[in-house]
Amino acid sequence: MKIRNGNRRKRIWLSLGLLLLLLVLLLAAGAVSEENALVSDFTQVNQPPSIEHIFGTDWLGRDMLARTLRGLFLSILLGAGTAAASAGIALICGILAAMSKWADGVILYLIDLVLGIPHLLLLILISLALGRGFRGVAVGILLTHWPSLARVIRGEILQLKESPYIWTSQKLGKSRLWIALHHMVPNVLPQFLTGMVLLFPHAILHESSVTFLGFGLSAEQPAIGILLSESMRYLILGNWWPALFPGILLVAVVLSFQYIGEKLRLFADPAGAHR
Amino acid sequence: MKKSQFHILILLCLAMLSAAGCGESRERERQQDSVIVAMPVSSEPEEGFNPVYGWGAGEHVHEPLIQSTLFRTNQSLALEKDLAVDYQVSEDGLCWSVTIREDAVFTDGEPLTAEDVAFTYNQCRDHSSVNDFTMLREAAAVGTYQVEFRLNRPYSIWPYTMAHVGIVPEHAYDEGYGRNPVGSGRYILKQWDQEQQVILEANPDYYGEKPKMEQVIVLFMTEEAAMAAALAGNVDVAYTAAAYAGQVPGQYFLLEAETVDNRGINLPTVARQEQDGQALGNDFLCEVEVRRAMNLGIDREALLDHVLAGYGTPAYSVCDRLPWDQESARVEYDPKRAGALLTEAGWKPGAEGIREKAGVKAAFTLMFHPEDSLRQALAEEVKNQLKALGIEVTTEAAGWDTAYDKAQSQPLVWGWGAHTPMELYNLYHSKGDGYAQYSPYRNETVDAYMDAALACGSLEESYQLWKQAQWDGSTGITQEGDLPWLWLCNVKHLYFVKEGLQVAEQKIHPHGHGWSLVNNVDAWSWE
Repeated sequence: MKIRNGNRRKRIWLSLGLLLLLLVLLLAAGAVSEENALVSDFTQVNQPPSIEHIFGTDWLGRDMLARTLRGLFLSILLGAGTAAASAGIALICGILAAMSKWADGVILYLIDLVLGIPHLLLLILISLALGRGFRGVAVGILLTHWPSLARVIRGEILQLKESPYIWTSQKLGKSRLWIALHHMVPNVLPQFLTGMVLLFPHAILHESSVTFLGFGLSAEQPAIGILLSESMRYLILGNWWPALFPGILLVAVVLSFQYIGEKLRLFADPAGAHR
Repeated sequence: MKKSQFHILILLCLAMLSAAGCGESRERERQQDSVIVAMPVSSEPEEGFNPVYGWGAGEHVHEPLIQSTLFRTNQSLALEKDLAVDYQVSEDGLCWSVTIREDAVFTDGEPLTAEDVAFTYNQCRDHSSVNDFTMLREAAAVGTYQVEFRLNRPYSIWPYTMAHVGIVPEHAYDEGYGRNPVGSGRYILKQWDQEQQVILEANPDYYGEKPKMEQVIVLFMTEEAAMAAALAGNVDVAYTAAAYAGQVPGQYFLLEAETVDNRGINLPTVARQEQDGQALGNDFLCEVEVRRAMNLGIDREALLDHVLAGYGTPAYSVCDRLPWDQESARVEYDPKRAGALLTEAGWKPGAEGIREKAGVKAAFTLMFHPEDSLRQALAEEVKNQLKALGIEVTTEAAGWDTAYDKAQSQPLVWGWGAHTPMELYNLYHSKGDGYAQYSPYRNETVDAYMDAALACGSLEESYQLWKQAQWDGSTGITQEGDLPWLWLCNVKHLYFVKEGLQVAEQKIHPHGHGWSLVNNVDAWSWE
């Protein structure tokens, strides 16, 4: 029994490591493919996949491999930034909510407010109001993705608040801030980290869908949403490659982040250690 | 016995059904006087079929079909009388008097009189948001069939205005007119399912020649949907774009309509400055040698091949092949001279082949509308071609909400082309003490020619002045002149047309892919 457990743990770590390595490679490839993703060549328009262009070319003769890599690079960058920032907001909100009754009321109200409006709709509205583009999408994702994690953290902290060692700490005269930083934050850190990683795929998918609908990144940027919406025009001519490859890779990236998040939760959850 | 009877009954039923089926298919074939046309979604008039709010007029000029106009343009864009039978213009050019025919009736049976004409024009003056009617002081009926247009300032091209304003009935005009138009034109609006289709039926009381096509159904579709409809054989005419034109569906042929639907980019002619908190001008493009070099350095033939698969013609002005076109605007592609011009002006090749002058890079940003793939492709092509000249272009998408303001300081890919010389005025005239409206430019000589063209007595005389405004031998807006706009191509309007359908001869289409094709749908026929 014990040996099998150990093997499974190892296997998970190994797969996590491999996935991370792949993602890093993807990021590196995306970082260097900026130029190639933008160069158009009208003699190479709508070429199906070949050795020269592994993912084919699009309607302006741009290399789809370079564009896809660059698109994923942009998506991951945006996803990482916004997921980290919204997780940060969630953590601060959670702690504030736990520290005072009054703040708790306000934050609960805000959480209900944001969760009450469909994610995508609110995201589109914020992006439009900020003039679309990178900034519009980034702020949009930032402002729409924190509430669910904030609610989890708030719940955890409320639970902690009733535990004997916090009471003891209070009786010893420690300030609320000291208790929050020394006793509560370390306790919710695993939930925080898992939540952050699980926000990732959300953020990436939302970025792509908003861009696909024309409310996100600008048409000259090789974002995945742009690639997919451009490819729609040429599907009827039988050009499947501009849609298929970016689509598959986007799903693959999203699923791998999901996988990493799930496995991290397994490790972070104390009950999971017995399994 | 009973069983066999039952069998016979079934057989009979089947025979009847199949006979009915045959009848139906034969009937479909027999509909020789009906045509189904797929048009772009943007062709659907937002404000309905009301000429006062832009139906037939404005940016996309075409014949209003449901209403009739005083004049109309023929195949060579000369003016022909429609409702009008005679017209006179006063010596000072301020009063146009038009006599109209007496046999025109609206489809509700009321006769069309001068009162209706005056009413229509006064409505346009007060409410038109798409056309300039500021030159019109008032329109007044001076007899049952005579109307006078009194102008604030001379306007020699007034007949072109009279050629696209559909006449509405005073007695049946209200806010809902756009949805339920009553007119005197060749067709009656039978049905309008918004965002889907429009059904037009021939007007039996039309005063002119009886339309050959009894019924015209117009469907509003995206490019992909129109292609799919053509592949399925569901429409008789489907608009399409160069990207699809290589794959003509069976039973169809490709109709290429000549156009002045041009694409060009504006080149701000003044140095960078601030005006009312907004950037104006461009430090690189304000040098006239740079603009001239770009005009010579663009290989328009290659551009047509690359971007339009050859379905277009090179453009050298906003009004190619129209009666007021200045033919000396044509230039030959000459990359050597273009490079020499730049070098002479001090722009020497620097790092990575991009030219520099006093530490400034020869570079600018070119904008395009994000939902227009053709303009994006043009921007990319211009970028590639200018790179060979040592100019670095960055492309950027800009929606209409910001593009107009940004175009004051950086180039944008535009589309123009109308059946009136007023377009020259709108693009190049500085209107008083400022700059031209869409891109900063000002030349008093050019302004003066255009003012004179508007003030002169006859159309023919004005054509000459319009041409001189473009180039008079020493100054103007063409290659040797100031060149505030760089014209790239005229985009042919492409349609898949079902074999057997005779589409009548087309006049040069203006900007706007769609209604222009059915200008003369009344003369179409099936073989």
